[in-house]
Amino acid sequence: MATFPEQIREMGVKQAVIAKADEVVERVTAGMNISDIRAALRGDEPRRPNPRLRPHADSFWLHIRPSFYHTEVTHIYPTFRMGWLSTFMFVWETITGIILMIFYTPSPLVAYSNMWNILSNVPLGQLIRNMHRLGAEVMVIVVAMHMLRTFITGSYKKPRQFTWATGIILLVLTLMLSFSGYLLPWDQLAYWALTVFISGAEAAPAPAIINQNVLLILQGAPSLGAGGLLRWYLLHVLLMPLMLGILFFVHYYKVVLHGMSLPPGREEIGEDTAKRVPKNERTYFIPDLLTSELMWSALMTLFLVAGALWLWDAPLETHANPVVTPLHVVAPWYLSWSQGWLKLADKTLVVGFIPALLVAFIVMPYFEVGKSRRYADRRVGLSVAFLFMAFMLVSNWMGTPEYRVASSPDREVSIEILPQEGASTLLAVPYDEMLEGSFLPGQDLGENYPHLNEALADLAHAVLANSCTVGAPKITTIEASEWKECDVVTLENGDKQYNTTFGNDLMPDPYVLLEIEEVQPKLLRLTLVYDVPEPDNPNEFRIQTSWTAYRHADSNYEEECRYANKNC
Amino acid sequence: MQVKIVIGTISLMLTMIILGFAALREPSRLEDFTLARQGRQIENGAELFQSQCMTCHGVNGKAEECYDAATGEQIGCAGLPLNYGPLLCEDTSQRMINMNWEGSKPAFIQATISSGRYGTAMPTWAADFGGPLRPDEIEDLVQFVLNWETEELCSAPAFQYEWPATIEELLAEFPEGDAARGKELYVTYGCSGCHGDPEGDSAWAGTGPWQGHLAEEAGTRIEGMSGQQYVYESVLYPNNYIVEQCPTGPCNTPSAMASNNFYARMGDTAEKPQDLVDIMTYLGILP
Ligand code: HEC
Ligand code: HEC
Ligand code: HEM
Repeated sequence: MATFPEQIREMGVKQAVIAKADEVVERVTAGMNISDIRAALRGDEPRRPNPRLRPHADSFWLHIRPSFYHTEVTHIYPTFRMGWLSTFMFVWETITGIILMIFYTPSPLVAYSNMWNILSNVPLGQLIRNMHRLGAEVMVIVVAMHMLRTFITGSYKKPRQFTWATGIILLVLTLMLSFSGYLLPWDQLAYWALTVFISGAEAAPAPAIINQNVLLILQGAPSLGAGGLLRWYLLHVLLMPLMLGILFFVHYYKVVLHGMSLPPGREEIGEDTAKRVPKNERTYFIPDLLTSELMWSALMTLFLVAGALWLWDAPLETHANPVVTPLHVVAPWYLSWSQGWLKLADKTLVVGFIPALLVAFIVMPYFEVGKSRRYADRRVGLSVAFLFMAFMLVSNWMGTPEYRVASSPDREVSIEILPQEGASTLLAVPYDEMLEGSFLPGQDLGENYPHLNEALADLAHAVLANSCTVGAPKITTIEASEWKECDVVTLENGDKQYNTTFGNDLMPDPYVLLEIEEVQPKLLRLTLVYDVPEPDNPNEFRIQTSWTAYRHADSNYEEECRYANKNC
Repeated sequence: MQVKIVIGTISLMLTMIILGFAALREPSRLEDFTLARQGRQIENGAELFQSQCMTCHGVNGKAEECYDAATGEQIGCAGLPLNYGPLLCEDTSQRMINMNWEGSKPAFIQATISSGRYGTAMPTWAADFGGPLRPDEIEDLVQFVLNWETEELCSAPAFQYEWPATIEELLAEFPEGDAARGKELYVTYGCSGCHGDPEGDSAWAGTGPWQGHLAEEAGTRIEGMSGQQYVYESVLYPNNYIVEQCPTGPCNTPSAMASNNFYARMGDTAEKPQDLVDIMTYLGILP
């Protein structure tokens, strides 16, 4: 073949460059030249032999993708694109995660200030962090939806049992990836969620010596510290993604091997025709599916970027503090169900039940051997699945502090209005609007103080939710009619409890005051003062306490409160 | 397929526009977050100060009003004022010069908090040196202490009363002593923090000798020096005379009083020297 200089001499510079470019494109795409690509984009028929099949044979990236799909599985139904989306989210997390890694050191000494550095010193750092963390939550949702759809369409049935089994392991890995990332900011949220969660190892149904050593391995020391952080970091950035990557290829290889299952109504009961695709029902990867996947990638990117910028903000609480346990330690929502179970059942039972449940899920397709994938024939199976989902949702709710968490009523008010961590309506009142002085719940300070008024209204709500009246309400700024009557219960030891239908051991006719004073330039001390006299003996106090928080002019809780995922 | 290409292209363009928008607001956002970071450190420092430091350095850091953490009773402030011009004003503050500190101001405060001051009541705080606080907590406290520096604090014209050589000359300017006020000042200046309560039990005194009998003993300390002059100098220039049995006796750190710097603190306004007269009246040194 002629060399480039020879070509130039032969056809002139312009033609020679075009020919060269064509050649380069053909090499890069492993078989398609420029005019082939243009034809594909225009929607023309391919020339013969079909150049659009060559990339599947010759290129690394496409060799695992089938060159055509059954047209029936390329619509939204039956896949809802959920498997593909799971893959997309994994890639997304890998890219954003690697960017974050550049700015992160896994050491308790600097991890937390690294997070602030990302927020305050790295251009677009907050966006990248939000994208990664939002992505993690979306990935959990998407993987769970994918599992749900493969169950509903009966795609786990023979011959795809093994695909399902690897899927379950992928689900566990997805959860563990998300959760292992939770610890890395080394804030209170992270530290305590992990501490509580891995303490579960202690209760596993195994000899104590094994449990203790498992716990030691998970924590890296008798309590979470430098060793533990390094371990979870390595799990998060190395082991888990590696295993997920490998398992994904096993999973996907099986998907290609068996072909994606057709909608259940499309084939005879007991038959699997996914691999036999008639010529007229083929949809080719190039160009149709490729275009579709690129479109979905663009849409997802748009959604995730916009979401991370305006809707959803990754939390960052105060520095991890092993000696101060926050009042409510909560697991991330996707593990909240386990916390719910712990409130009801014995710890050992729960910790033993979870792996048993996983095994049950993995082997389920080998035992559930009903031939039909059609919905009408699977009423029992589908009902059981929906009952299970309802059960998980209720368990998840039970895992939140709203369900059965004992703490004193004044504490509940305090952490709602002046939380130990994160923002609240009161903390987010613009600094110029903060007045020095003492204020009552529900007090109205006039039109110049709209945010402070709102915060005082919030305080009134919180107080009302945690107290009741025995006929002498003391807070004049709350309408007398808003107080709920106390049911007075006398306990065995003679003490009295004041209850309502909504809660037990509440504050009977409390007096609550919010004090705001400046303690330093641009620094306010906010104090909630509680005086709850004993109704039978006004000289004695049932509760007499206070709760303090500080608010600096620059701390910018307002910014946090812009996002939809913050409760203020 | 054409529709998909259009949708994909539009999404991509929108994403680019959003990213461009995000990039534009980035400089101001970074600034806000830098301030927010500091604001939250100060908040946390305030909480730590309240729980760890207030008993010695006072409710507003002026070492005037201290309360026992357990009983809530007012006690003498054992610490120095931190909300204090000579500590905080200027890049190289007066205290840094006095203590021969060569580094920066934040480092001066950080080093003091971290390692404490050997031989004084100021404890070691950093976990590295055996104290209870983590490095980030020390950093928060430093931010909090530095936040007391204001124009108001530092614009007050620096005043230093020229203490006369003898007590007689001082008394010529400030002739009347008020024992009741002296009793309060004895607490708020932190004298009782080291010397205990002169009207109470002598065993109470910790760092310095108990002063219940000072009125009788002061005149005998230095030959040829009146008790009044001795006490006057002992407060202003603690290193001039060291109580004889001190290195082994009741006070474990003979030089402890020096860094309290009463020379400066009782002379930073034109009226303040009255405080010393009142305290000496309370102790029975002056009539
Ligand atoms: C037990 C009493 C005590 C406690 C508690 C205490 N300090 Fe001190 N602090 C002192 C004393 C006494 C000094 C003066 C040391 C000296 O004489 O040089 C001092 C000095 C200082 C100084 C240097 C002031 C100067 O002008 O040189 C700083 C800064 C300081 N303390 C900060 C703190 C902080 C922050 C805390 C809380 C974590 C704290 N201290 C808790 C007693 C205390
Ligand atoms: C940090 C602890 C500390 C504080 C605060 C302190 N002193 Fe002292 N003081 C000592 C020590 C130690 C001695 C003994 C060493 C010496 O003579 O310098 C002493 C000695 C004295 C003496 C000499 C006593 C004698 O028996 O000869 C007088 C007088 C005195 N202090 C007065 C005061 C007064 C007044 C205040 C408050 C304005 C005060 N001190 C605050 C530690 C303290
Ligand atoms: C990281 C997690 C996962 C990834 C990346 C992933 C990826 C995929 C992809 C790309 C497909 C192709 C078909 C489709 O889009 O639906 C697929 C199919 C399938 N997946 Fe997953 N998957 C994951 C988790 C799971 C889970 C949790 C399960 C269920 C337990 C599961 C079970 C299946 C089954 C049974 C099929 C075959 C569907 C069919 O043939 O119709 N996968 N998966």
